[in-house]
Amino acid sequence: MMQFVDYLLGGIGSGAIIALMALALVLTWRATRVVNFAQVGQAMFTTFIALSIQTATGSWYVALIGAIIAGAILGVIIQYLVLGPVKRMDTSGAIIATFGVLIALQAAAGMIWGGDSQAYPQPFGNSAITLFGHEWPLSVYDLVVIGFAAVLVVGLTLIFTRTSLGLAMRATAFNPEVARLSGVRVSRTLTIGWGLAGIVGAVAGVLVAPTSTISPNSFDILLVFAFTAAVIGGLDSLVGAVSMGIFTGLLLSVVSGYSDSSNAPVAALVLLALNLLLKPEGIFGHNSARSV
Amino acid sequence: MTGPAAESLLSLHDIRVRLSGLQILDGVSISVPQGTVTGLIGPNGAGKTTVFNVISGFVKPESGDVRYDGRIRKHIRAHRLTKMGISRTLQGVGLFASLSALENVMLGGSSRVRSGLVSQSLAMPWTDIETERLRTRALEVMTELGIAEEAERLPGELPYPVQKKVALARALVCDPTLLLLDEPAGGVGAPDMEELERLIRSWVPKRTVLLVEHHMELVMSVCDLIWVLDAGKVIASGTPDEVRNNPAVLAAYLGEEGAA
Amino acid sequence: MRNLMRLPGARLVLHAVVVIVIWLVMVQVNDRVDPLMNYYIALVAMYATAMFGMVILVGLSGQVSLGNGALMAIGGYLFALTTLNWQTVPILGVPMNGIWAMVFAAVGGVVFGLLIGVLGARLRGPYLAGLTLGIAVGIPAIANRFPDLLGGETGLQLTVPYPEGGYAALDAGFEDQFAEVAPSGEALLPSADASLAPEELLTADNFPSADATVAPEDLLTADTFPSADATVAPGDLLTADNFPSADASASAGDLLTPDSFPSGAASLSPDLGGTDISGVDPTGTSDIDLGFILERWQASLAVAVACIVAFVALNLVRGRQGRVWKAVRDDPVAAAVSGISPAGSKVSAFVVSSLFASLAGAVFAQILSYVGPGAFGLGLSLSLLVGVVLGGRSSLVGAVIGAVLLVWLPQFVLSLSEDRGWDEQVTNNAPNLIYGLLVVLVVLIAPGGLMGSMQTLVAKVTKR
Repeated sequence: MMQFVDYLLGGIGSGAIIALMALALVLTWRATRVVNFAQVGQAMFTTFIALSIQTATGSWYVALIGAIIAGAILGVIIQYLVLGPVKRMDTSGAIIATFGVLIALQAAAGMIWGGDSQAYPQPFGNSAITLFGHEWPLSVYDLVVIGFAAVLVVGLTLIFTRTSLGLAMRATAFNPEVARLSGVRVSRTLTIGWGLAGIVGAVAGVLVAPTSTISPNSFDILLVFAFTAAVIGGLDSLVGAVSMGIFTGLLLSVVSGYSDSSNAPVAALVLLALNLLLKPEGIFGHNSARSV
Repeated sequence: MTGPAAESLLSLHDIRVRLSGLQILDGVSISVPQGTVTGLIGPNGAGKTTVFNVISGFVKPESGDVRYDGRIRKHIRAHRLTKMGISRTLQGVGLFASLSALENVMLGGSSRVRSGLVSQSLAMPWTDIETERLRTRALEVMTELGIAEEAERLPGELPYPVQKKVALARALVCDPTLLLLDEPAGGVGAPDMEELERLIRSWVPKRTVLLVEHHMELVMSVCDLIWVLDAGKVIASGTPDEVRNNPAVLAAYLGEEGAA
Repeated sequence: MRNLMRLPGARLVLHAVVVIVIWLVMVQVNDRVDPLMNYYIALVAMYATAMFGMVILVGLSGQVSLGNGALMAIGGYLFALTTLNWQTVPILGVPMNGIWAMVFAAVGGVVFGLLIGVLGARLRGPYLAGLTLGIAVGIPAIANRFPDLLGGETGLQLTVPYPEGGYAALDAGFEDQFAEVAPSGEALLPSADASLAPEELLTADNFPSADATVAPEDLLTADTFPSADATVAPGDLLTADNFPSADASASAGDLLTPDSFPSGAASLSPDLGGTDISGVDPTGTSDIDLGFILERWQASLAVAVACIVAFVALNLVRGRQGRVWKAVRDDPVAAAVSGISPAGSKVSAFVVSSLFASLAGAVFAQILSYVGPGAFGLGLSLSLLVGVVLGGRSSLVGAVIGAVLLVWLPQFVLSLSEDRGWDEQVTNNAPNLIYGLLVVLVVLIAPGGLMGSMQTLVAKVTKR
């Protein structure tokens, strides 16, 4: 039993990171009805930028701020140059375009920083916390990650519920046409949505990098986990993305703990498939454009 | 020709539909007598298209029965409709944008295709015979509607009224017993409207037609029987004259879209 | 002409003739080009085979799927497992051979296609893309679960089955052709680390002896491999930078890089000993008794499979089924009321495309003489998507163009980099950067890809 609890606790840190990445996916989905499969590519790219800044300045915080700025800019650029111009009818095109961006970003990162895995400095110590005579599978760093995730979630919730920008974003997500008629500057709102998603993704990237290594492809698996979490959470809901992200992290930690970490992708796949089977989106569901 | 009497080809009994918290249909019972043109009218949001969606199996009612051809149909599946002899057009045109007009019409006869994936993938000669038969039939219907010359064009290249006719041809090609027409006159000008009226009348009594339509002139002149829906309930039924003079109908229409 | 095409069986004849002509031409080409070119031809044919399925699934049926690389893995692993573990075909009892192994791969592909199709057909675009992304990452990772059966990260090495005698015979005068062609082959792949490239294995000074009994793997000792042991595990040969990491998350960067194919492994088949080459008279031609040229056999096989698949694809795409797929893609509701089952049509697209993918996977296994999780990772799925989008989402010819592009561009970049003296880091990643940017451009400017744009152009010109 104690082992189970240990596995669970060990998953909180990675769960928080999955939650952040899922949150980024949800933000772009809400903004433009596009699942941004390039999100992890953007996060990888900004994390490399952060690593360069870190190497130059030696400051973890400066690097984080650099990543956040780069993330916002990258998100805005991609929405402005790529997803914005894609015809709204061409849903396949939008999906394919995000994969194109992913491939290009990974190649660009490989060109600039090389294909090898690089270590990202661990700023807060990785030793387990000992409390009440038990060594918990939680490190100070895990707590920092959870803290960042909590701050971002609270901040985003405040933006969405308390500001006029948030109102505009919710209105645009609900119905762009109506929002436009109500005086919302829709395209600007969409772009801000992508910028916010870029920021969240960038933070997730900088937070996850020290726990393993960083290379152009190293976040791919995170994309699968985050997508799983976002879909289970409903793809539309910030709360859903966060809670299901943490749930996914815990589950994968338990699976990895009791068997082997190489089972995590398969476990995520099974989780995703089960969810889609039991709660499928039928083509004639109420999202169908015409018949009802 | 009054009321849901004797020879009903299709009848709905006490249909209730709730979608995302709204009661769209609240105990709707209507019937469509064999060999007639029956109209279904009502103000916007009355639930007309939902009635069609229930009949076509796109929407599952909470309760109530759909009876067609003497049998209660429990699990209607949209793609089985044509097998049952029911064809439906969609609001707008609903054509396949990347297929030619002829190919669109040919696909309306899909329920008659027997050959499966294996014989298709080997291009067995009988698949060609089947296709050829469908092509002939499709051209026949298109000639009837006067659109045979447009057979090779893409829907996007055709004027809107012609597109509507292509959609109509696609519904007719499987030789349906019951035709469900969803706003066949929408976006169509006066001359085409007259032709449409003539066409619809020419199908009965061989086919039975159920019509959802906003153009009152067309409805009044073409229908034998009219059902009036408002807010998910049947508020009136009868011949065009009876409906026209029904105060409840007037109230519903005036209340909903006063100026119109 | 139009009316002629409507005769029953006309399509069958036309498609058969087209495919057979292409096949005959390719057989001649296979016999005349050097092993390296044959190796490229094999890759193009293999990609084309898989991408015919992508045309049907992504183009006609409109389902963006990243799972086809994983379905190729199913085909490849089934091929490897059946050839490695079965001497005879179960139940039937006839001796196992390459064709039977392909049949098992195909059956496996159909079964998995059905599973994924049933699960995926109800899903809208982004959900399906995400699910298949998970499949692309998850299925190759399964190999790690069963290291004893599936070889784990290192994968399985296999012997390429080939008909006895058949390809062992050499044309007369082959050595002359070969001598001429070989240098140009080197120009195609000049990189120093291409030490695994076939042409080097076969050059004159690599052959210490003309004795027919010398097994090919012994020939490799010269300077290419530290060990010629036939039991060498692929993991030893495939060093980090020439092979995609066996990491389950192997991705875009991996498969598209020019030196990612462990081409040399193709010549490592341990059983290519003297007995199989006995069809060649060792006392006859003294210069070249090697006889069996694996690349030529692989190219012929890949081309033959691609032609058969192309025939089926042509029949489907240019027939009623093609119209049905497009109809469901354009408007599922209208398709349903026309009597077409949208779900059924989508599932059938999945089944057909995974049949093609699994056959391509079986061919891929024979090109590599190896199957492993890294070879079938997300990168492979992504390259299939890239190829089909660039060539033209809905065009079979576009799929072939896309396949050529996938194989040619990395070589082209390599030769450019040789001239300009680019950094290796740049050279390795340039193809992917170009692919990624091209994909975005195509989606934005010419959604029909190369073929689509050409058709539009032709239509415009002819209308004037």
